[in-house]
Amino acid sequence: MYRKQVRRRRAVLLLLVAASLTLLSLYYREGNGGPLHGVQDVVSTVFSPIESGADRALKPVRDLVNWFGETFDARGENNKLKNEVATLRSQLAQNQTQAQEAKELSQLNELTSGGIVPSGTDPVTARVVGRSPTVWYSTVTIDKGSGDGVRVDDPVVAAQGLAGKVTQTTPNTAQVTLITDADSAVTARVTPSGATGVVEPDVGNPNDLQLDYLERGSNIAQGQMVVTAGFSTGNLGSIFPPGIPIGKITRATVEEQQAYQRVHLEPFADLRDMDFVKVLTTHSGGSKG
Amino acid sequence: MILTPGIIARLAVLGALVAVAQLVCFSKMDVFGTSPDVALLVVISVGLLGGSLTGAVTGFSIGLLLDCLLFETLGAFALTMLSVGYVAGRYRETVGRPTRAAVALLGGSLTLLGAVVIAAIQIGTGIDATVSFLVVRDAIVKSLIGVVLAIPVLLVVRLVVRSALVDERRAARRTPAPRPVESG
Repeated sequence: MYRKQVRRRRAVLLLLVAASLTLLSLYYREGNGGPLHGVQDVVSTVFSPIESGADRALKPVRDLVNWFGETFDARGENNKLKNEVATLRSQLAQNQTQAQEAKELSQLNELTSGGIVPSGTDPVTARVVGRSPTVWYSTVTIDKGSGDGVRVDDPVVAAQGLAGKVTQTTPNTAQVTLITDADSAVTARVTPSGATGVVEPDVGNPNDLQLDYLERGSNIAQGQMVVTAGFSTGNLGSIFPPGIPIGKITRATVEEQQAYQRVHLEPFADLRDMDFVKVLTTHSGGSKG
Repeated sequence: MILTPGIIARLAVLGALVAVAQLVCFSKMDVFGTSPDVALLVVISVGLLGGSLTGAVTGFSIGLLLDCLLFETLGAFALTMLSVGYVAGRYRETVGRPTRAAVALLGGSLTLLGAVVIAAIQIGTGIDATVSFLVVRDAIVKSLIGVVLAIPVLLVVRLVVRSALVDERRAARRTPAPRPVESG
């Protein structure tokens, strides 16, 4: 009896491990339109209304935990807050959240109406409803999808600057791969020097990006701004329009052996705490947000 | 754990809810620079209560759902969570019912194991970028949060599957019936 149980346990374990490895392997081999991607689309479409509802319902809990975290971090400065009445805390958190959301939306509108959005682009405002639990996947899920005109490779901006690009869509949701993702690379220009390079992530450190392949001797200084370059070479064009702010330079490392210079920059957008983003769609779609 | 259709349904609902809550709530929380991995702790709890088979199947299912909802490589989270659920279940089968301290330690160490497995899968699938030391810091802080949250999460999961727990049924059976009061 016991042996039978052990055999059954081992068989199920082997089956599950084999299934996982097969899925991993098949997923890597198939293209974006493959059947496994299709399964993901279906599951995501089914769960998207639940995710959207749960996001709103659980927002007070999230805000409360974040509020405690922020209070802990700034305990020294916020001693006077300890005397606040408990009933006012949740009200305050709610008010602050609304104010922050309004500010974020206002900044988003300012950014996208400031001449950086090319003509023919139709920005779609979206709420960030999901986030990956690990530092390996720098992706977020937004509540607008192909039904709202969002397409793969559409650039996405946050209130302060570039956030990333759309990499998957379903009718109601889309996955945004952030500029801190391991797969991300954005051609960029330093202003006012005009030096150009490629912005790449430092995986696990969302507050640091690297601007690589800068020509040695470029006139780079701390505090200078980095914006998207929007290169276009023949049929190959950058998906990001030129002039979208990415970050400001924090330090430069000069490596004697390298033919290129590399500098570090801090992204303008707070990629770990975004509630709203704008997708710069270039296609006509359904209802726009 | 006695797996009746009712208990399997409860586990399925719990798994779906915790996967959604992980994405929309827990992953967006900022606790000491990282976020709690409650879905993994639920898998650990199911393994500790139900054994290796239940833990592995639950882990695989929740992981696969997370893979789908995140549009990430199918099988990555499934393999990670199935490993963690299986190890937690084997602990239960070989050592017995864990003490509270053991639950907390298992919560932390298996969260760390989960972080290592997902890192191994990422590196194995050819990640092409510089990896910061903060990845290690993130895993350590996450496992410390796992230590703190392991017992509360286990209590919640136990509440959900309580009617299926053999130990508690035995304990209830062992409780002596009240003696009749003798009159006169």
